[in-house]
Amino acid sequence: MTEATITPTKTIDECGKICPYPDVDTMTTLKKMKKGEILEVLIDYPLSVERIPRSAEKNGHKVLEVKPLDGPKHRILIEVLGLK
Amino acid sequence: MSPIVSGLLVGVLFGFALQRGRFCMNSAFRDIILGRDFTLFKALAVAILVSMIGFSVMAMTGIITLAPKPLMWGANIVGGLLFGFGMVLAGGCASGITYRTGEGMMGAVMAVLGFGLSAMMGATGVLNPILKSLQTTKIMTADDKPLTLANIFGLDLKMAMLVLAILIIVVWAVFAMRNKSAAQSYGDKAKSLGEAIFKKGWKWMPTGIVVGLVGTLAFPLSAAAGRNYPLGITGGWVNIFQSLIKWQALVEDKLKITALNWEGAEVLGIVLGALVASWIAGEFAIRAPEPKILLQTLIGGLLMGFGAVVSGGCNIGHILSGVPQLSIGSIVGGLSIVAGGWTMAYFMFIRPMNA
Repeated sequence: MTEATITPTKTIDECGKICPYPDVDTMTTLKKMKKGEILEVLIDYPLSVERIPRSAEKNGHKVLEVKPLDGPKHRILIEVLGLK
Repeated sequence: MSPIVSGLLVGVLFGFALQRGRFCMNSAFRDIILGRDFTLFKALAVAILVSMIGFSVMAMTGIITLAPKPLMWGANIVGGLLFGFGMVLAGGCASGITYRTGEGMMGAVMAVLGFGLSAMMGATGVLNPILKSLQTTKIMTADDKPLTLANIFGLDLKMAMLVLAILIIVVWAVFAMRNKSAAQSYGDKAKSLGEAIFKKGWKWMPTGIVVGLVGTLAFPLSAAAGRNYPLGITGGWVNIFQSLIKWQALVEDKLKITALNWEGAEVLGIVLGALVASWIAGEFAIRAPEPKILLQTLIGGLLMGFGAVVSGGCNIGHILSGVPQLSIGSIVGGLSIVAGGWTMAYFMFIRPMNA
């Protein structure tokens, strides 16, 4: 992946949040963004680290990366396409 | 094997599988209406089917005696609905908040504290009169047996469980072959079996199989300890808190009960198993949501604990352990949990999202 060159348009910090707030926040933020913009989700809830990419793809967006950071923390990059 | 060792063993395996599979019924049911995601629901279905086959084979070979819960429709419905409302507020079902306590999630710890407190208030405390009045709606068969999907049709329970499980598997397999969809996975693939087990999240099929096998193992081990039932959560938390609070009376043998029992040890094992699993995977961290959400999970836990003792079971006692035994009480209790969960999820998440 070329994460070094990717600059997220928007970042949301979902660390510490409980089920399913990270998912709901991600989906509502994606809805408000424009095509081609990139959303960065910082998250430490394992279930949602796996579920958010699934839901994003289902909604026609492109998952650019799911990168483990420190401990349970992950960074998810999603390109807004909204094809579906 | 002493009840505590055997309970801990089953609990550690269960907690490990719950953490690795991210197995939570709150998510399993809610994701069906929020995002049309069936991943965890499929894991749950597999776990129930494996348990159904496991229980029926063990009953046929005389290893266990089946113990479906009785139908107390008023209590099953009211308790199930309260539990369902509560699990959405708490951000996890009874097993979900228990394993996430082991992951270091303070929201889950708050929910567990509320859960244990209100379960005790219902079981032996100030809310017990309400519980008793709701549990008067008990219906048994003519020969005083708990109602099951088998005996209402005059069928043998063990055989009905086996046949039903096989039928569902065949129908599911046919559907699955018709609608083949390539499963997407993100991030790096596991390089070894060890990495797949200890480092990566499990997929729904292995998760369901392992949870079902742990449930199957739990039945004879729990029965050997004098508790003829598979996995449970509610009774375990009640036992843990009561042991801690009534220790002196227990030591002086005034209560005529053992301190930590099989189910209490099992629940401690879940926390321990999830702690070990998340530690190895690098997913353990002490973390907390904002204060308002902590209050919300506490309230959720309070609703769940009381709901579970009123209903005669939580999502594990009813759905994972009771539904495979085709208990009508567990089916009614389980459906009420789903109905409560969906109602609360609609008002908290779905309606605001679409507004």
